Amino acid sequence: MRNRVRERRTQRGLSQAELAAALGVSRQTVISIESGRYLPSLPLAFAIARFFDLPVDKMFDPDDEEADT
Amino acid sequence: MMSFIRPRWRRPALMILAGAAFAAAWGVRGGPHWSLWATLFGVAALVRALWIYLLAGEDADAGALAGSRADERQKVLNLRSWAMSGRLGMIAAFIGLTVAVAVKASWWWPFLAILAVTGAGYVLGIAVYQTRSGE
Repeated sequence: MRNRVRERRTQRGLSQAELAAALGVSRQTVISIESGRYLPSLPLAFAIARFFDLPVDKMFDPDDEEADT
Repeated sequence: MMSFIRPRWRRPALMILAGAAFAAAWGVRGGPHWSLWATLFGVAALVRALWIYLLAGEDADAGALAGSRADERQKVLNLRSWAMSGRLGMIAAFIGLTVAVAVKASWWWPFLAILAVTGAGYVLGIAVYQTRSGE
């Protein structure tokens, strides 16, 4: 599943650590989500989408399969 | 249960508690060198507790787990690690039991006990966490 987390984060000029702090997760989790290695839970996916003012289905694209979790 | 202890101290505290209990067991056992073994295991527990405390300061998954501040992905990682640990424990216990039976050893029963406890734990886990129809 492809996502636009890295793209949106860099657009806002945020570091991975700053985004992690805003979402209440670790920097390693932001790295894992951005690289597609970890699919976040629904609450975290919604929190990410809300943070970037995007609908969750625009933030995460279910048609593109990349992640293994 | 341990929420009155600061997150970073929780696992080290558990280590110290376990080390103290094991050292006390040597005291109860007695014998000529009980104090030596009790001190040895007590110091080993303290060193391990210190190592976990220091690890908890690391900006890494292992640090988050050691410091009891894991997020959802790190909790999944923790669960997977425990699952692997349980599987390996069961496999080791099965091999131990098989070897013990084959060589007619008298020490077969601890392996059977470990297999029984881990197997029962798995069944209990399914019973507790499964979703029943009608829920």
